[in-house]
This record gives sequence, C-alpha cells and structure tokens, in this order.
Amino acid sequence: MSFHFKFLPIAFVVTTFGSFSTLWAQVPENTDTTVAEEDYSLYDNVEYSAEGARRFCSPKIEGLSPAKLISFGYDYQMGYNMSADTLNSIQTNTGGWNLNAQDAQVLRSHGMRLAFNIPVISQTNLVWQLGGNYWEQRYNFADEASLTNPMLKSLSAYGLKTAGLSTTVFKPLNDKYFMLFQGSADYSGNYTIKDMMPLNYMKYSAALIFGKRPSELKQWGVGVARTYRVGEINYIPVVLFNSTDVQNKWGTEMLFPARVHVRRTINSRNMLFAGYELEGQSYRMWNTSSVDGFQMREDDLEIRRGEIRLRMVYEFSLKEFIWMSIQAGYRINYRFDMDRLINGEENYRAFGLIDDMPPYVMINNLTNPLYFNVSINLVSP
Amino acid sequence: MKKLSFVLLFSFVAALFWSFAPNTGGDRLIGVWEPSNGRARVKIEKIGAKYYGKIVWLKEPIDPATKKPKTDKNNPDPDLQKVPLMGYRMLKDFTYKGDDEWADGTIYDALNGSTYSCVIKMSNENTLNIRGYIGVSALGRTDVWKRLVVKK
Repeated sequence: MSFHFKFLPIAFVVTTFGSFSTLWAQVPENTDTTVAEEDYSLYDNVEYSAEGARRFCSPKIEGLSPAKLISFGYDYQMGYNMSADTLNSIQTNTGGWNLNAQDAQVLRSHGMRLAFNIPVISQTNLVWQLGGNYWEQRYNFADEASLTNPMLKSLSAYGLKTAGLSTTVFKPLNDKYFMLFQGSADYSGNYTIKDMMPLNYMKYSAALIFGKRPSELKQWGVGVARTYRVGEINYIPVVLFNSTDVQNKWGTEMLFPARVHVRRTINSRNMLFAGYELEGQSYRMWNTSSVDGFQMREDDLEIRRGEIRLRMVYEFSLKEFIWMSIQAGYRINYRFDMDRLINGEENYRAFGLIDDMPPYVMINNLTNPLYFNVSINLVSP
Repeated sequence: MKKLSFVLLFSFVAALFWSFAPNTGGDRLIGVWEPSNGRARVKIEKIGAKYYGKIVWLKEPIDPATKKPKTDKNNPDPDLQKVPLMGYRMLKDFTYKGDDEWADGTIYDALNGSTYSCVIKMSNENTLNIRGYIGVSALGRTDVWKRLVVKK
C-alpha cells in the first residue's frame, strides 16, 4: 500500500494535468475575429446528429431591407383642393338634409405614425409576430370658419385616426415551401380619447399566401387577401415577390397590389427604393359634435379613403440598429367617398362588378399633392 | 504521512472522476452546428473559460460578384471587409451560466455587418436556441441550430 502512496503525488499531477491539458492546448494566442486556418474540408461530409432533424426555409432572403421592430414617424402632405359633394341620397336614418357641396383648400394634412412589430415565437419551424400601430391624419384648411359641409367641418375638427393590431405567422413546410398569414384589426374613425367608438366598428383584414423560396436570393408566393387598402372592403389575389441579384445591388420587394418597390442596395446599411404603396382605410364618422344638427354618427357613415403613393425611399443606418427612412413622393387620390352602411353591413362592390349595391352618399374629389414621410426605426436582428 | 496520503488518494480519485465523468457542463456546447438557414456551419470551441464559434463551411463560399472566396464585405469597418468569412469568429465570449444556458456573448451577422447581444439555450444535446437581441431579449430573434457529426 505504501508503495502506491509513494506514486500518488505523481499520479495526481499526471491525471490532473491530463484533464486540463486539453483546455490549455486550445488556448490560442488571441481571440480576435480572424482565426488560424484549418482543413475546412473536414466539414463537407457531415450530417445531423439527431435522427429525423429537418431543414426549413427562412422567412427572409439575402439583401432584403431590415424589418422594423419599432417605428416613430411623421407624414406630411402639401396643400391640395378637396371638393366635398353634397349628399347623393338623402335616405338617412335621421331624416332629410339639405347640404351644399363645398370646395375647400387643404393647406396641409399631416400626422404622426407609430408602429411596433415584435417576434413572439421565432423558431426554425414557426415564426409568429405581433404588431400594433397608431396613425393620425390632421387636416388644416384655409379659412376654416367658412366651412359648412359637415364632412369638411369634421375633418377640420377631428381629423382621421387608425389604431390597429396585427399578427404575422410564417410557417415553413420544408426547406423550399412556406405559408404566410397576415391578419389585422383596425379601429379607424374620427374618434377622440374622450369619445371612443364601440369595438364592433373594427375592420378586419387578412391575407394567406402559399410561397416558395427556391434560393437564398428569391422568394415568391400567391394568395388571397381581404383588404381595405383602397378604402372599402375587397377580396383580391395577391402576389409576393422578393428578390436580390447575385451582386446584391438590385432587388425587388413586392406584395402586389399593396406595394411594389425596386431596391438599389448601395451597401448593407444604405438602400434606395422606388415604387408605390396603396394606402387606405374605412373611417367611421363617429365624432360630430362640431357639426350642428347633423348626426353622422346615427347615419352609419364611413369615409372610404384610398390613395396611391408613388415614391422614392431612402433607408439608412444612423447607428447600428437605428435606421432612418425618408420618403418623398406623389399622393394620388383613389377614393375619398362617403358610404352609408345599411343595417351596419359592408357594401361589397367588387370594383363596381356588383351592380345592386347602394351608391356612395358623397363623392368627393381631391387633387394630388407631393408628400413626405420621415421615420426613425429600430430594426430587427 | 498517512494523512497526506489519504488526501492525495482522495484527490487522485476525484481527478479521475472529473476526467471520465459524462460531460454535463458547459463543454456540451463544443462541436459543429448548423444554423437554420443551412448556409453555414459553425464550429464552437472553448478558449480559456469562454466559448467561441467560427465559420468552417459555407454553402456558397465564392462571392458571385468577385468570383473569389467570400469576405466580410458588409462589415462597417473598412479594414475588416477583406477578412475571409471562412474561419470568421462569429460567436464570441460566451460563458456557461448553468441550466443549459451560455450568455454574455455576441453574435455577428455577416449579411448586414451587425453584432448583437446573444444568449444560447440548449434545448437538447443536438439543438441550440440562439437568440440575438438588441438591448433587451424581447427585441430579438431566435434561430435554431442543429448539431452536426461526421457522416458514418
């Protein structure tokens, strides 16, 4: 026994040193970004350690502009003319009204735009995001005291607001194909914090897309959408097409017909876009306290606002994950008409293909101004 | 002398146990892993007390623009834009916190040249949840990496 004890100190040193030696051997001279080369061909012929593990396609492709987690923005339209029609059909809930058409000069319409979009589940086989936004549009008229048309008076007093919640689910089916669902609930009208509308006036939009991601540089998809983008409800086909050229200089970011952009990548932190976006919503005429005797609230009236924004966009990194977006473009009015819901039901006109729908109660004409939009954004990893 | 011998014997047995016991600590992170996009393979190794991961395989190793091996061309530091991506240390400075979690490290995204705070959770021996985030963990994205082994 004593024989063994004699060798114990040596055995201890050898064993202990042996245990740590592998660690010591791994300590390189530095831990810089670059490391000494090794035979990388060793890693060509590998497989998943776990049986049954699968690859799934990513929701992104190379070169896409970064997704915005949080956005603070401001939108500004220069002056334009708004011709408010008289009520077309006077069959309202509150009786007959005799209202004159009126032309008015909008000096500017503007408002802040806040949005967030946060990943809740971000796994290889499922990505689920939740978002929210608050947009407002204020209208400054020339000679506001002379406004007599109830719609113009309401716009001047309250503007239009939209607060919404949205969700996006990306479900890869395998390493090539995927499903994409986007849904949103929007609370749009001329409400105020002190006089909110019932939640049953919310508008629901959704899109479901089946897509393919054939390479790191391209993804496309086709699907259907229920949308209020041109003001009133529509059910339309949609096409997704995102691509980047092999040199990562040019690309497309497109969800037709909602938005289509060509991208010019100056570098990974500076991007230029040219294209358009359809924008719009259906706004409940709720707050009418400034409109003497005219109870739009009881008449179930909604402004169907739809516009096309032809634009150039410059997005760039201010510092790391803080990006700025600057837009300039031309706002083309598509529709700014007043519709009356019968028994609260939507008037689905299918771009005029359905004939027996009631006509708009006011048809309004807007001229088209230049617009600008600037936002500061926290972008996603 | 006998007392010292017992101490040494205990140390010997403890050292043997430490040498051959199954690895349940931070070193389980060591190995070769594939991010969910399958575009790269990353070898994680231990340097000192910390864990680092370098790119050891690229699905498309040649830059189509230059026809040469890809470099870190999106790095905001011009001096680093010519550094080859192969061998690039994209995971840095992770320490094992226990409970299958490695933290205090960073992950580098060569697609946009950004470095993010990062925490790694091992959901099982062959799967890592790698979460890159900005400031707080809620503002981030998780990627799932799978362990790779040499084909038999």
